[in-house]
Amino acid sequence: MALRARPDPVDTFVQSVVSGVLTGSLYAMIGVGLTVVFGVMRIINLAHGELVMLGMYGAFWAHALWKLDPFVSIALWAPLMFLGGMLVYRLLLRPIIPGGELNTLLYTAGLSLLIANLALFAWTGDYRTIKLPYAITPLRPFGIAVPIPLAIAFALAIVITAALYLFLSRTDPGRAIRATSQNPEAAALMGIDVERISMLTFGLGSALAGVAGVLLAPSLYLYPTVGEILIAKCFVIVVLGGLGSVSGAIAGGVLLGLVESLGAVYVSVAYKDTIGFIMFLLVLLFRPSGLFGVGKS
Amino acid sequence: MTRGSAGAAVLVLVLAPPLLTSNPFLLHLTITVLLWTLLGAAWNLLGGFAGQVSFGHSTFFGVGAYTTMILYLKGGLAPWYGMVLGGMVAVLVSLPIGLICFRLRGPYFSLSTLAVAEIVRLVALNWEGLTNGPVGLLITTLPRVGWGGRTLDWESKAPFYYMIAVLALASMLATYRLSRARLGAYLLAIREDEDAAESVGIDTVRAKVLTLALSAFFTGLGGGFYGLYFRYVDPDAVFPIALSVEMVFIAVVGGLATVIGPVIGAVFLTTIGEMFRERFLVGHLIFYGLFMMLVIRYLPEGIWGGARRAWAKRP
Amino acid sequence: MPLLTVTDLTKDFGGLRAVSHLSFDAEPGEILGLIGPNGAGKTTVFNLVTGFLRPTAGRILLAGRSVVGLRPHAITRRGIARTFQVVKPFPKLSVRENVTLAAFCHEAARRRAETLAAQVLERVGLQDKLDSRAADLTLGEQKRLEIARALATDPRLLLLDEPMGGLNPREVNAACVLVEQIRADGVSVILVEHVMKAIMRISNRIVVIHHGEKIADGPPGRVVNDPGVIAAYLGTRVV
Repeated sequence: MALRARPDPVDTFVQSVVSGVLTGSLYAMIGVGLTVVFGVMRIINLAHGELVMLGMYGAFWAHALWKLDPFVSIALWAPLMFLGGMLVYRLLLRPIIPGGELNTLLYTAGLSLLIANLALFAWTGDYRTIKLPYAITPLRPFGIAVPIPLAIAFALAIVITAALYLFLSRTDPGRAIRATSQNPEAAALMGIDVERISMLTFGLGSALAGVAGVLLAPSLYLYPTVGEILIAKCFVIVVLGGLGSVSGAIAGGVLLGLVESLGAVYVSVAYKDTIGFIMFLLVLLFRPSGLFGVGKS
Repeated sequence: MTRGSAGAAVLVLVLAPPLLTSNPFLLHLTITVLLWTLLGAAWNLLGGFAGQVSFGHSTFFGVGAYTTMILYLKGGLAPWYGMVLGGMVAVLVSLPIGLICFRLRGPYFSLSTLAVAEIVRLVALNWEGLTNGPVGLLITTLPRVGWGGRTLDWESKAPFYYMIAVLALASMLATYRLSRARLGAYLLAIREDEDAAESVGIDTVRAKVLTLALSAFFTGLGGGFYGLYFRYVDPDAVFPIALSVEMVFIAVVGGLATVIGPVIGAVFLTTIGEMFRERFLVGHLIFYGLFMMLVIRYLPEGIWGGARRAWAKRP
Repeated sequence: MPLLTVTDLTKDFGGLRAVSHLSFDAEPGEILGLIGPNGAGKTTVFNLVTGFLRPTAGRILLAGRSVVGLRPHAITRRGIARTFQVVKPFPKLSVRENVTLAAFCHEAARRRAETLAAQVLERVGLQDKLDSRAADLTLGEQKRLEIARALATDPRLLLLDEPMGGLNPREVNAACVLVEQIRADGVSVILVEHVMKAIMRISNRIVVIHHGEKIADGPPGRVVNDPGVIAAYLGTRVV
C-alpha cells in the first residue's frame, strides 16, 4: 500500500461508521434484553449491566481455564444465564414487584451492587483481556480495518437478533410475550399464564445480556464494575428507541455506537462516552417522547 | 420528654465524643457517620419526601468538593467558606439538571440522573485545566485559624468533628422543618400521585425544583467538607455512581422521609463498612447491596420506619 | 356571560384527531352533561380544559380569560377543579390529609385548611372516615373523597369524570343528590357519565360528542330524541 501523507477523510469516515455499527450491534443486544423485560413486566432491571458483566467473565474464565473459544462458550453460557435469570425472577423479583416501580428499582440497584462487588471480591479489579490467536491481524475488506472478533460478534449478533425476531413473531411463547407486553390483563384473559411468561422473559433477557457480554469480551477490557457504565448506556439506548420496543432498542443501539465512534474521531477520544449521554439529554430536552416517538411513562 | 429536653439531650450526645476521647480512629468513625448522615438526610429530602429517586447525587457532592478545593488552592479562599460556596454552586448546577430530568417520572427520572452523573464524572476526569484530571487536587496545609486565644490543631480530629456535627444537625433540622411545612405535605402528595397533586393546585415543578436545590445544597456542603477533611479529591473519589447508591442506601435502610432515618442508615453503613474493611479490605459494598435488598423485601419503611410502626402498635 | 367558553377546540395525537373543532359553553349555575360513546373524546376534553393536555388549536376561556397554556395547578387556582375517571387518591395519606392538601390551594394556614377540609368532607358524608387511609376506602367512598378534594379548592366549575362508574343504584342516587347540592351551592358542573338515567335526570343541558365532534347540544329531552344522537350512540330511545 502506498504511504499517504494524511489518511483519506472518506476512509476515516467509513472506518468510523463501520466501527460504530459493529459496536452498536452489540449495544443493541444489551438494550434488547432490558427492553423486552420492561415490556412484559414494566420493571427496569438495574442489575442488567451486571448480567452482561457475568457473560464477559464467563467467556474469560472459559477461555483461561478450558481454552474454550469465547464464541463457542455461548453454547454453555446462554442456557445457564437463561436458567439463572428465571431463578432470579422466581426467587428474588417476584415477591418485590407488587411493592411498586420504585421499590423494584431500588431492589435491583441493591442486586446490582451485590453482584458487581461479589465479582470484584472474587476476581479482583485487575483489568482482564482475552487474547485470541486470530485477533491479531484485522480483516481488511475494501481497506477498512475490521478486527476479527468484532466481525464474528457482529455476525452472531445478527443471527441471534434474527432468531429472536422469528421467536417473537412465529412461535407461541414468543407471541405470548408480545401479547403480555401489550396488555397483561387481556393476555391473562386469553389464557396466557402471565407469571410463566414473565419468568420466561426474564430468563430470555438475562440470556441476551449474557450472550452480549460473551460477544463483547474479546473486544474490551474486562473489569467487575463495567456494569455501571453499561446500564447507563443501555438506558440511553432503550429510551431513545422506546421502552418495550425491540426494534427501537436495535436502532438505538446502533445509533449510540455510531455517535460514539464518530464522536471519538471527530470530537475527542476522551469524551467519547460523554457524547452519547449528552445526545440523550438533548433528546430529553427537545423531544421528550424519545427519538422514535414512544412516550415517557 | 419535652421537645426542648430531647433537643438538649441530642445536642449533648452529638457534641460529647471529642470531649470523651481523643482516639483518632473513633473520632474518624464518628466523623464518617456524621458525614453520611448529612448526605443521607440531603438525599432524603428529594428521594424520601418527594419520591424522586436520584442516582446522580454524587454530582452535587463532587461539585461541592471540587469548588472548595479549587477556590482554596487557586484562590486562597478558606475551605470553610469554600464549603458554603460549594453548596451554592451545587444548587446552581441542580437547576439545569432539574430542568432536564424532571421531565421524566419515576424510574426514568432516576436513570436520567445517572446519565448526568456519568457525564459530570467524565468531564471532571478529562477537563484537566480545571480539575487536574485523574491526578486530582491535594491540600497540603490548611490555613491557621485562631479560636479562643489558641490556634486550631488540624492534626487532631476535633475541629473537623464539630464542623461536620453542625452540618449534620443542620440537615436534620432542615428535614424536620420541611416535614412540618406546607412544602413537606406537598412533596408527600407528589410522591403519592403527581398528577393528582397538580390537579389540587400544587405547583409540582416548583416544589420539585426547590427540594432538589435544598438537597443539592446540603450534598454540596458534604462534598466541601470531604475535601477539607480528607484533603484530596479525584474524580473517582467524589463522582462515582457507587457514592450516589450509598446515599440512596442510607436513606432507604434508615427510613425514607424521616428525620432520624439517615442517622440510623449512616450508623449501619459505617459499621458494616468498617467491619469488612478490617477483615477483607474490600467487599463491604456486597453487604450494602444485600442489605438494601433485604430491607426492600422485608422492611420497606426502613429500620426507623419499621421501629416507629412497631412502637405505635404496642399493646 | 358563560362561565366556560370552548371554541373550535382541536386536539391531534400524531395522525389521530381526538377532538375536532369542538365548541360549547357552560353557563354559571348549571349542570352540563357530556355524553358520547367510548373513545369519543370526553376525557380528552377534560384534560384539555384542565391543562393536562395542550390543544392543537382552539380557545378555552374561563369567565372570559384564556386558560390555554396554563399548567394544571394554575388552572385549578383560577377555579376549575376535576375528578379522574379512574380515582387517583393519595393512597397512603389519610382522608383528612388528602383534602387538606387541596384546601391549601386558597387557605395557607394549616389549621384553617384542616377546618375547611373537615367541612367539605362532611358535605360529602365522609366525616366518620377522617383518619382512615385513602387506600382503605371503598370505591364509592374514594369517589366521594375525590369530589371532596376537588371542592376543597373552592372551584367555580367542577369537572366530574364518570363519578358514578362502578357504583350500585343506591350510591348512584346519593351521588346525584350530591351533584345537585353542589349546583345549589353555586358551583357549575360539567358531568361526563355513562349512567344514562342519572345524567339525564340532573343535567340542565346535554352536549353529545362523537368521534371528537359535537353532534347535539340542548336540553336532555330534545337531545335524547335527536335522530343523529340516536343513530350514533343510543341505539334505542331512552326515557
